[in-house]
Amino acid sequence: MSDGHVDGAVRYAQDAELEGQWHAAFVRSPLPHARVRSIDTSALPRECVALLPEDVAGVGRYGCQLKDQEVLADPARFVGDVVAAAAAPTRAAAREAARRVQVDFEELPAVFDPITAVSEGAPLLHPEAGESAGDAVSIGVRPLAGTNVCHRFRLVQGDADAGFARATVTVEETFRTASAQHAPMEPHATAARWTPEGRLELFTGTQTPFNLRADLAGLFGLTEDRVRILAPPMGGSFGAKTFTRLEAVVACLARKAGRPVKAVLDRAEEWVTLNRHPAVVRVRIGAAADGTLLAKRLDCWVDTGAYADCGPGVATKLGYAGIGPYRIPNVRVDALAVYTNLPPNGAFRGYGATQSVWASERAMDQLAERLGMSPLALRRRNLLRDGDRFATGEVMHDVHFEECLDAAARAVGYERDPRGKGLCVLLKGMQTPSRAAIALERTPVGYVVRCASCEMGQGVRESVRLQAAALLGCEPGQIEVPDPDTDSSPFDTRTTSSRSTHMMGRALAKAVADLRANGGERGHGEIVNDGGIDPDTGQGIASTHWHQGAAAAHVDVDEETGRVTVEHLHAAVYAGRVVDRAGAELQNEGSMIMGVGTALFERIEHTDGQITNANLSDYNVPSAGDLPRRLTHELIEREGAEAHGLGETALPPVPAAIGNALGSLGLDLAELPITSERVLEAVGARDRPGAEAAT
Amino acid sequence: MTAWLAPATLEEALELRAERGAGASVLAGGTFLGILMNEGFLSPDVLLSLGRVAELDGIRVKRGELCLGAMTTHRAVERSQVVRDGWPVLARAFSLVASPRVRNQATVGGVLADADYASDPPAILTALGARAVLRSPRATREVSVGELILGHYETSIAEDELLVEVRVPPCPGRAVYRKFRSRSSEDRPCVAVAAVSGEAGLRVVVGAVAGTPQELPEACALGPEAAAEIARRYAEEIEPMSDSRGSAGYRRRVIEVEVRRAVEALA
Amino acid sequence: MTLRLVLNGRPAALDADPGETLLDVLRREAGLLSVRPSCGIGVCGACTVLLDGEPVSGCLLRAAQAAGREVTTVEGIPAEHPVRRAFAAEHAFQCGYCTPGMVLTVAGMLEETPEPSDEQIVEGLGGNLCRCGCYVKIHAAVRRAAAA
Repeated sequence: MSDGHVDGAVRYAQDAELEGQWHAAFVRSPLPHARVRSIDTSALPRECVALLPEDVAGVGRYGCQLKDQEVLADPARFVGDVVAAAAAPTRAAAREAARRVQVDFEELPAVFDPITAVSEGAPLLHPEAGESAGDAVSIGVRPLAGTNVCHRFRLVQGDADAGFARATVTVEETFRTASAQHAPMEPHATAARWTPEGRLELFTGTQTPFNLRADLAGLFGLTEDRVRILAPPMGGSFGAKTFTRLEAVVACLARKAGRPVKAVLDRAEEWVTLNRHPAVVRVRIGAAADGTLLAKRLDCWVDTGAYADCGPGVATKLGYAGIGPYRIPNVRVDALAVYTNLPPNGAFRGYGATQSVWASERAMDQLAERLGMSPLALRRRNLLRDGDRFATGEVMHDVHFEECLDAAARAVGYERDPRGKGLCVLLKGMQTPSRAAIALERTPVGYVVRCASCEMGQGVRESVRLQAAALLGCEPGQIEVPDPDTDSSPFDTRTTSSRSTHMMGRALAKAVADLRANGGERGHGEIVNDGGIDPDTGQGIASTHWHQGAAAAHVDVDEETGRVTVEHLHAAVYAGRVVDRAGAELQNEGSMIMGVGTALFERIEHTDGQITNANLSDYNVPSAGDLPRRLTHELIEREGAEAHGLGETALPPVPAAIGNALGSLGLDLAELPITSERVLEAVGARDRPGAEAAT
Repeated sequence: MTAWLAPATLEEALELRAERGAGASVLAGGTFLGILMNEGFLSPDVLLSLGRVAELDGIRVKRGELCLGAMTTHRAVERSQVVRDGWPVLARAFSLVASPRVRNQATVGGVLADADYASDPPAILTALGARAVLRSPRATREVSVGELILGHYETSIAEDELLVEVRVPPCPGRAVYRKFRSRSSEDRPCVAVAAVSGEAGLRVVVGAVAGTPQELPEACALGPEAAAEIARRYAEEIEPMSDSRGSAGYRRRVIEVEVRRAVEALA
Repeated sequence: MTLRLVLNGRPAALDADPGETLLDVLRREAGLLSVRPSCGIGVCGACTVLLDGEPVSGCLLRAAQAAGREVTTVEGIPAEHPVRRAFAAEHAFQCGYCTPGMVLTVAGMLEETPEPSDEQIVEGLGGNLCRCGCYVKIHAAVRRAAAA
């Protein structure tokens, strides 16, 4: 179905034109940490409305896991934090008005990395933060009072110290991942309107309409039915358009202006809206002489920026994904989500797995080298199988890690010749617990399927349409899938975590059964996946359904300049049952290409909290010329299997596969991105007289 | 409302330029000016567009020299048979700039007048001994690229002058242009090297590492056989900058490699 | 001022400030929402239009620069055009935001080079970013359109 895509007819949030709308612009802090002493609006043009702290005094705080955000910040906690806003008839006029707002700041000490932020004497960003309740919080949040730690996830299985004591070989290494920008082609856009009856309506690019409704209702003291979220397709998101971003401030502006207000961000503003969590991950793995893993310890510092957003959830997922798809009897994970005076970090395709898989899978190769074993053999020896317990205590079922790993290894001829080649196998969880629901209704031409899954290019609407058609025994063209609307779409936790094809497929089956059992006109089906893990022990059900995949890379290096060429990149992803083949292929390809960007050149740079590469020339995202010489992938299916999410699976293994390929050449990289400069340094380190010989 | 001046002749354009000086922003292709305006760095009240001045367009050969009108697009240079035949390295260097879309719009005059350090054309034009023709109502003068580009976004073009043409002497026997990108294939250059060798000797110019294109004639005097030594000296004496594409230290290392490779390619 | 040009094959007169971008004018005055803002600096191609048949960045052209010229957007490329059909057949899109720019760039590319090599295709697509990562299928679409 290409209608609207190829002919340019798709309408995104930025295309909204609400009658009488004005445009919004934001007054942002130029300092990373500062109190607002006063705001002078005397230079404002007449035809505009300014949103000032006194206008939002009665509005509470919001935040999907910790309520630590205010509509207008005071103190401002990062360069770019919104301290005031303006609305005017045109975008240019609004920006001019925002420029004329004079803010007097009192600068405060600031901190820019998570390790400094947790050390003695670091300035505290949120001396008090309230816990959130609600559907975004799938895990108890554990802030450490009096520190910048907004969440500590801990997993304890067995006795790690005892395990290390028994180990013949132990490796320990610290790995780092830089921050990255989602850079969706469509920037954030939101339009808000208050109806005469006092209802708030938002037309916004979002992956999380029901979370948004809950947050906004809470902020304005409304019951949720007094807030309506309409979610048009997004021009890409990858996690950027989740939870409350612009919506609260735009809703306040609309209320003050007494008219609809629309905000569309400039590209530069994207870097001060939401980014990916940089992380420092220290890995320690202990093994017996035959390669059996005995103990693993992870210490993770996850920089969540100035506000928690879903940092606690990311730190948690990062924490357990870093254990890897392995049988390890003794595991200890400590993952801290830490505040710093940088823009907030949040959901980013991979949701923490990229950062910890980089560390964990690189460490596995280092361990293999110390053991004198093949990295492939070491992994095979320890991979989880059906019936094994993962470190969370849950029993694994429907396990295909070895298949994925073998397929990836085979694709690059790893066993024949491993030089210049690297492997990575991963496990990634799906949002647990969660709920999904479908409402079906017969129409003169077929059916309408109401589903709150939001379209961002991943093809969820098509996936729902195809699955519905198959279940109902009609043509996909007879199925209508309207855009999500919280007034009429049944509740869905949110469109994240690669869960929608799987969960909505199951909800559809229930809805169709309901429809058939009740006269054929209407049907409703709801699915709940129960579970969750204890934030202090890591025990429980982390995921009712695991995303499983592997990647292999074959690289070439120009050792005089450090430039890496990826000759072949292959991803093998377990799909179970492919619903929409072209769509699934695009998810693999898209994830792999994004993985190449993370692996080789994507990083946000800043000086004293000011982002210095906030544009698409200084910050590179992959172009057509950046593809590996050969990019191949496979979707592994099994008869009778359930559809597995795969919107993210092929991204996290890519950097580690490339890093391990370089490792096979004696080039030891511990930090992402793997820049040419770092590779050149690694060449120097390897070839220095007296350096240890490579395998 | 922005005032839009669109003279149809060069004479008219020069008059307007002299009259308005810094009060009007000169618009050639509009890629660089467009970025400055979109990013809010510049909000001109008056734009002086050269788009209608036919005399500024065109690729000619006069007395053996390649004459590129200032409004000639990068794309036209890339595709021109005249340039491909007589100055193939120039066609190649221009073809490497950005994307076809940018090359359809950006001009030869504009890229020199912008003096953006991370551009490709200045280095190769310097190496080929190109001269920029600057005209005002009072005079016409020619300057080398080195005399034209003074530093980051700074040129010696006077407020009443327009860059009207670029003249390139006959191309020496051998010439190469190397563009080293440290990140994506669409990245701007980290280090660019233009090397030409002919009867007049060897000339190597390094671009994209400092405010102006860099060359060391004394090192080049060693001749093309001394590639490694020339490269070593370039790396030692140039003081490169740090930016998103590479640190100063990294650039030094790459300068040595790329200069050596460029000179070796001339052999 | 009144910007007079030929837009998708028809004469058009659009209200414009000469100094504003062609991108803004086409969206606001002609309702051509397929031409999209994204990077603001001409590197991503989401605002690509054909100017006298050649791809340029709508965000870097001042409206007045298009006076008297022919401007084509994807609305001016008929559904039966081999490039549009190829993109649909290969499913060379995900979110669709970059797709009109891609279609126009490819239409321009094949006009100039009807049988491009793989290298030429990659080079020609380089200036159009697709964050969803559809390059593999877009490349296939170019091949298909070239063969049509």
